[in-house]
Order: sequence, then structure tokens, then C-alpha cells
Amino acid sequence: MRILLVEDNDELAETIVDRLRAEGHSVDREGDGNEANELLRHVTFDIVLLDVNLPGRNGYDVLRSLRARSDQTPVIILTARSQIDDRVLGLDAGADDYMIKPVDFRELSARCRVLARRRSGSASNVFTVGALNFDRAAKRATIHGQDAQLRAREVQLLEIMIDNLGRMLTKEEVADRLYTFEETPSMNAVEQLVTRLRKKLEGTHLVIKTARGLGYMAYVSDDD
Amino acid sequence: MTDLPRHSLQRRLLLSMAAGFAVLLILISLLLWTYARSAANRTHDLLLAGAALSILERVSVGPDGATVDMPYSALEILSLNPVDRVQYRVFVPGKAEITGSEDLPFPTNGELAAEPAFYDSDYRGAAFRFVLQGRRLNAPTGAEWVAVQVGQTVEQRASQQWSFFLSGLSGLGALSLIGLGFVWVAIRTSLSPLRQIAGDLRLRAPNDLSPVKGAPPREIRGLFDAINGFITRLDQSRTLTETFIADVAHQTRTSLSAVQGHLALAVDAQDFDGMRARVERAERQADRTVRLTNQLLANAMVIHRSDHASMHPVALKSLVRDTLAESLRDSRMRKIALSLDDEGITPGRDLIQADELSIREALRNLIENAVRHGPPNNTVTITLDEADEKLRLSVDDAGPGIAESDMMQATERFTSLSDKTKGSGLGLSIVKAVAEGHDAELLLRRSSLGGLNVTMIFKRLMASFLLILGLGVAGSKAQAQTLRIYSATDTVAMQPLIDAFIDSAPGTEVEYVEFQTIDLYHRILESDPDDMPDVVISSAMDLQVDLVNRGLAQHVFVPVDVRPPDWAVWRSELFGFTFEPTAVVYDRRAISADELSANHRDLATFVRNNETRLRGRIGSYDLRQSGVGYLYASQDSLQGPQSQRLIEVLGRAGLRTYCCTSKMVEAVAQGDLAFAVNTIGSYASTLAEGIPHVGLHFFEDYNLVMTRTAFVPASARNPVLAAGFVTFLLSDRGQHAIAQRTPLIPIRLEGAIDTKIERLTREKRSTFLPIKLTPALLTFLDALKKQDFLSVWDTSLASLP
Repeated sequence: MRILLVEDNDELAETIVDRLRAEGHSVDREGDGNEANELLRHVTFDIVLLDVNLPGRNGYDVLRSLRARSDQTPVIILTARSQIDDRVLGLDAGADDYMIKPVDFRELSARCRVLARRRSGSASNVFTVGALNFDRAAKRATIHGQDAQLRAREVQLLEIMIDNLGRMLTKEEVADRLYTFEETPSMNAVEQLVTRLRKKLEGTHLVIKTARGLGYMAYVSDDD
Repeated sequence: MTDLPRHSLQRRLLLSMAAGFAVLLILISLLLWTYARSAANRTHDLLLAGAALSILERVSVGPDGATVDMPYSALEILSLNPVDRVQYRVFVPGKAEITGSEDLPFPTNGELAAEPAFYDSDYRGAAFRFVLQGRRLNAPTGAEWVAVQVGQTVEQRASQQWSFFLSGLSGLGALSLIGLGFVWVAIRTSLSPLRQIAGDLRLRAPNDLSPVKGAPPREIRGLFDAINGFITRLDQSRTLTETFIADVAHQTRTSLSAVQGHLALAVDAQDFDGMRARVERAERQADRTVRLTNQLLANAMVIHRSDHASMHPVALKSLVRDTLAESLRDSRMRKIALSLDDEGITPGRDLIQADELSIREALRNLIENAVRHGPPNNTVTITLDEADEKLRLSVDDAGPGIAESDMMQATERFTSLSDKTKGSGLGLSIVKAVAEGHDAELLLRRSSLGGLNVTMIFKRLMASFLLILGLGVAGSKAQAQTLRIYSATDTVAMQPLIDAFIDSAPGTEVEYVEFQTIDLYHRILESDPDDMPDVVISSAMDLQVDLVNRGLAQHVFVPVDVRPPDWAVWRSELFGFTFEPTAVVYDRRAISADELSANHRDLATFVRNNETRLRGRIGSYDLRQSGVGYLYASQDSLQGPQSQRLIEVLGRAGLRTYCCTSKMVEAVAQGDLAFAVNTIGSYASTLAEGIPHVGLHFFEDYNLVMTRTAFVPASARNPVLAAGFVTFLLSDRGQHAIAQRTPLIPIRLEGAIDTKIERLTREKRSTFLPIKLTPALLTFLDALKKQDFLSVWDTSLASLP
């Protein structure tokens, strides 16, 4: 994978670069916000790791101009601030994930892997996570090339979960998106549907986690 | 000492002294109130007694028994009190009613005597003060008692009582203030030792925490000791902080040393495996150092934020949900069965006063504790429920938990109970700090899941945060309001005024009903309260005063700058809005201006000398038909004996009577009459316009002035609109409209308006004698008095030679 690390602290940058290179990725490093912005204009990366406090132009601005160019390259924000406003700002600006420094390298590479697996190219309309392949246009999911044999509702649910990767959805929210006004959604039906889909996704890297009282969250597991 | 005045000792002392004074004042004012009442009663009883006496004086025995000739002075005496309504009754107890209101209340235990008896009683819903006095008369049938009862409402008395009371009280109040001033000086002097302590503390260096020295007076010994106690505690607290800093320094340094040590050993390692083992340990140690640093910062932040005003109302439910959803993103949470039970909480009842960031930090630490100390597939349950006015947030886990004996210790800083997991020992102390900062209870128990249960109990915020929605009461509905006016004034005269009013109050409709003065009077007397008009207007001032005296009107608050002169207002209920002098209308062809006399006496002489020439050619009002005519005639009779003589002379000359001014002017214009007396000058002037041979004449001695009055009935359906109309009549706009668009003369704006009648009357203003709006006007409405007056009138008219 081709990764761009934008980080002004040389020591930290070096360790991250070394770590990622050791994993076999090709890593470029940039220390200045403006220069990173310029670079991103011309070169395409698979993942961008973006520090917030940067000389020149801060990380959010870099991210915003990236998204303004309709560039959907996955971005992980690295920040030393733990205040929640930063998170909201980062995700609103279009980040795919964020991590708080000091960063655990194992966690960082795991998240990079997750993002890499999730090549949800909006152009291709195909979502791929490891063995799972989902074609939005055809509304068809395959696992290891075999049709996953999903029913219409299950396809709908899969699409909802993929659209909200890493985000907690309450049962009601899921029901709202699944059913029209005329249909009276039963919470039991939602539960059963999730159980069925989860069963069918077994063995893929897409996991739907249930937290009782909270809802469902889909994530891409990094266990090999 | 302190710059917050509400904590001032001095103020508190002053306040308690002031409270003492206030109690004293209340006691004295009770006495004062009783005194003021009896003083006010005495004053008003004198008026009542005077009126009763003057009536008694005129009681006499006639052929049909006792009778009375109501003296004008009786009610005039009562009019000295400008506010109150009056009632009277003359009767022979147990035998006959002579005149007045028959249903006046009799004193409960009173005996009729020659001495006046005063008593308070209610009459027709209003409080009255009455006097009852009797007189023994020798009638043909033997001696009998005639009783006179006079009553007056007590509004003036009450206000006088208040003014006596208040002036007495204000003197006492001033005295109390001076007393308080002395108290203030005394307090200041005795508090000076406190200022000395303040000076001592102010001059101190910040690190000087030695006790304050000095020998304070006995009274502030406690405070003095408390200050020294506080200084001691501050000293201890500072020592504690220093210990904390030392602890933190120790912990981080130790941790970093360990990292450094492992790394140094790795550098020196001889073989690769040995080095790798060292580096792996260094890494784990670094991990712990990172976590320690994070938690130290979190701890510092939580403590810092609890000192600051970062608290605001927070919905706990969504805060907990967000925090949990957030923590689930951590890959270590993948195998943890996390659940939330918030069914026990009603939506909208989850508000607490909190700092979001601190709560989030506490919850995060509790979950992290469970994850760190428990198995990878731990079960963590978060429960939110309410009990009374509390909200409970608890975190249960199925991990190893904490032994009962260690629970107290667990929340202490740097106490990690588990060597295996090597916690920083800060997680629970952060939770404790958050709980303390939020005034919440913190409970540590064994969980039903097997591990630890940590519960924080918050005080719920009350519903005071409910929005009070403006109800938008439609006070100004665009709906048309109808103003109903009953009036004894020609529609032609009133129409322009009503038009002007509608212009100034768009959306208003006016229903105007025209009456003769006496018909209007009876209509109002007989009307159902539900069927009252909104405004009653009449030129018969006496009848209007009578209606108001019966309590049928309500107060109208007219701005001071448009109030008519005093003579034209009674009780802020009845308002005169025109100025209408009487005039003599004459036919220039029949009589010359020079012949018309300068005063009433000369007119009588002139008529008597020219009786043949003027026979049947003099006109005036028919007193039985016209209220205004009766008012003019009765008021004339008060001006002296010449008026009686004039009536006799006019009667002998064959006086012809008319219903109204317009008919008299018509008769003069047609040559039927040589002149007419007591016509309404303003009307006559307008009617005579364009008829060159009709002239207007005013006397030099006096010319009576009537004013058209308006009041708003107590049961008016649109009192606000009605008050608006009355105010409009008196306003500059209304008065200008009266001057320019009606035949009437405005009562205000004297001289500011240039009209014909205004010019005509201007030089005569000093001779104008306004009829005052007072209860004295009721004298001639007295049934007996009126009967007498009219019979004298009839006799005069019939006295043709």
C-alpha cells in the first residue's frame, strides 16, 4: 500500500515510517501542511495519516481541501488532543478514522489494514472486504466469489451497515431505514434479520457487533 | 473582610436591628391606624351632622303631617367632600316616609334621639357612614318624632385615614432611620478588630501560613480561631498538593527510568534474543507510562474543571450513549459484551448539572478498568435509572472485582490493587474526583455479574428547565368592537364626534341611541345590568349626578393633561366635556339690544313695564318636559330672590314654554316670540346662523353654564373602549372636533379655538357661572322639593291677572 504520513515531529515520524515500511508498505512523509496539500494534488495514495498541528496549514484544512477535490482517499487523523470537539471536527471534515497520540503501533497498523480492506470505491460501486464483495448497483453480495444468497431485506441491511461502518446505529435507526411508513417495523424482526445476516457473513472480515441497549455497529476485523 | 455585601456582618446586624425597628413600627402603626380612623371619622361626622341639622331645621308640620323643604345647603355641605356619594331619608319612624331613599339601613341598636347617632353600615354593596338624628314636632295629632338620616360613602374617609396614618408613620419611619444610623456607627466601631485581622491577612506573603497573632475581643474569638484553623488546614492541603506533585514526579520518573533501564540493557545485550526480550519489556513499560501520563492528565483536568464553572445542564442518557458508542470503536472492545440498560429512565428526565468532559472521562475509565482487569470476553453492563430525584449511573463487570476489604483503598491515588495488570492506580481516583466535583455519591460494590459494581448517584435537575411557551393571548383581536352610546344630545351634534373617534380607533363600530334627558334617566335606572350601554351622555347634569350617586358608574382614568376643570368632574366617574352658557335669544325686529337688560333684576322690571307689548311673546323651557330647563330654573332660584320675582313677572306676561332650544329659536325666527330666556347658547348660536334678525344676549350679572357629561356604567360591556371614548372626548383631538364640527363649545382649550360662539362668549367669560358637578344637585331632585318647586312654577305661570 502506498501511505502518506503527514507529521512534523521527526522522531515520531521516523518510528511510524519504519514500522509501516517493515510491514511492507511504501511510505512517504511530509512535515508541512502546505507541501502535503500540494503533494496530494498530484499523487494518489491508498491511505493518508494526518497530524492536526502542522506548520503551514493545519491537518483539518488539508483534509477539507482534499475532500473538496472529491478525493475519497481514506484519511486517519492523528491528534494529541483528546477533547471531543476535535473528533467531531475531524469526522465532519471527512476523516475516516482518528487516533489519539501517543499512538499504539499495533492499533495503527490494524486500522490501516481495515481501511485498506475496505476499498469502497464510489466509482466502482463495489465494496470489498477480504473475501466479501458487495456490488451496490447489482445489489449482490459474494463471498469468495460465491453468491452469498442474501434476501432483499438482508441486502438492504448490509448496505446500511456498510454505509455506517464503525458507527453505532440504534435498533430504531436501523428499522427506520429498513421499513417504510406503511410497514410497521417490529424490533424483533430487526433482531432476527441482523442475526441471519451475521450468520451469512461468518468467515468474512465484516463483523456486526451487537451491544444490548445501544444497537449495532459494523466493523472490519483485522484478525487473519 | 469580604467584598460581597450580602455576607457582610455589619449588614446582618443592621438588618436584625431594622427588623426590630420594623416590629416596633408595626405595633405603633396599629395604634396609629385606630387613631387615624377615629380622627377621619370625626371630621366626616361633622359634615354629616351639619347636613342632618340643616335638614331638621326645615322640617315642619303641614296639614298632612310632617313635611320637609330640602335645603340646598344640606347636600352642599356634604359636597365639601368632593368624592363621596350621598343618601338621605326623612321619615316619621313607624308611620310615614317623607322623602329620600326608604331602604337606608337603621342602626342595629340605635334609639332615635335628639342627639346625632353615627354608625357604619353597608348600603347597596358600598360602605356608608350614616348619621341618624331626630326632632320632636308638635303635630295636631300630638307630639311625634321626625327622623333624618344622612349617609355618605366612606371613600374620602378611608383616604383621609390613610393620609393621617401615612404622615404619622413617615415621621416614625424617619426616626427609625436615624436610630438605625446610630446603630450603624456603633456596629462599625465594634467591628474594627475584624478590620485589623483583615489588614494582617492582606499584608501577608502568599507562602506565610503561620497563624494570625493578636488578642481579639471575646465576641470574635470564634471567628479568629476559625481563621487560624483554616490557615492550618490550608497549610495541610498545600503539603498534600506538594506530596501529590512529588508522587507524580516519582511515578513518572520511575516509569521512565524503567523504560530507560530496559533500553540501556538492550543496547548492552550480547545476543539478539536477549536484546529482543529487553526491548519487549521496555515497550510494555512504555505502554504503562503512556497510560499513566494520560490518566495523570485526566485526573488533573477533572480536578481543574470541577473548580471552574464548566457545569451546565446535561442530558445524561445521550452522553452515556455517545461515550459507549465511542469506546466501542477501540479494537480491544471487540470481544467485550457491552450493554446499556437505560429503560428505567423516562425521556427528558435525565438532566443533571454536569461537566460533559468529566463524566465522559469517568465512564471511559470505568470501562477501561473492566477491560484491563477482566478477561478478553468480559461482560460490561452500564445501567441508568432514576430513583426519586436522583439518577443512578452504574457500571457492572464480570471481571475479578475487588475484595471487600480493599474497596475503601481502591479510590485512593496510586493504589493499584493488582500487580498482574499493573494499573496506574488512578482510574478509580479519577472517577472519585468526578463524583466529588458533581456532588454525586460514589458506591463500590460486588456486582451481580461477579465483578465490580461502581455506581455514581447524581442529583437530577428539576423541571425548571421546561420552556415556558408564550401563550400569545390575543389581546388585540382584529375583531370589530361595538361601542354603545346612550345619549341625550342630538345625533347631528354627536355624529362628527363619533366619526372622529372611529377615525382614531379603526375597527370600532358605534351604536348611537338618542333619548330625551328624562327618558334616558329612567332607561338607565330601569336597565338590567347586562343591558347597560358603554357610555351615557346627557346635558341634565343633576340626573347624571343622581345616576352616578347610585353607584352605577365606574372610574375612568383620564390623563391629567386632558382633565376638565374641577367643577366639571365628579369622583373620576362623571366628566363634563362641553361648556354651554345659557343665552337669551331675541328677535331684533321686536326688541332692540339696548332694551334687553344687563342683569336679571332689570329684566324683571323691563318685562313688568312692557307687559302688554310682550304678552305671550316670551319663551322658556317647559320644566316638566325638559331636564335641562328644570336644571336652569332650579339653579337660577339659588341666585337670590330676584329669580323668583322674574318667574312671577314672566308668568304674568304669559310665558310660553317649549321642549327645547331649537323650538324656541324657531319661534323667535318666525316672530312668534320677542325673546326666549335660558336657551342653550351654543345651540341657539348655530341655529340662528344665517337669520340676521335673531340675536343672542348674555347678562352682566351671571350666565349659568351647563356642561354635557359622560360616564361609563359599572356594567358596561366594553369598559376599555368606553374609557377610550371618554378620554377621546376630552383629548385635544376630541375638543377640536367639538369646536369645529359640532354646534357645541369645548370645555378645554379655552381661547385656543376660533369659532363664532367662542368669540361671542370670550369677553363674557368672567360672568359665566358654571353649575358644579356635586351631590348638591340632588337637592332639587328630591321628590318633595321638586314637587314644591314645580307647584310654585305652575302658580306663577297661572297668575294671569
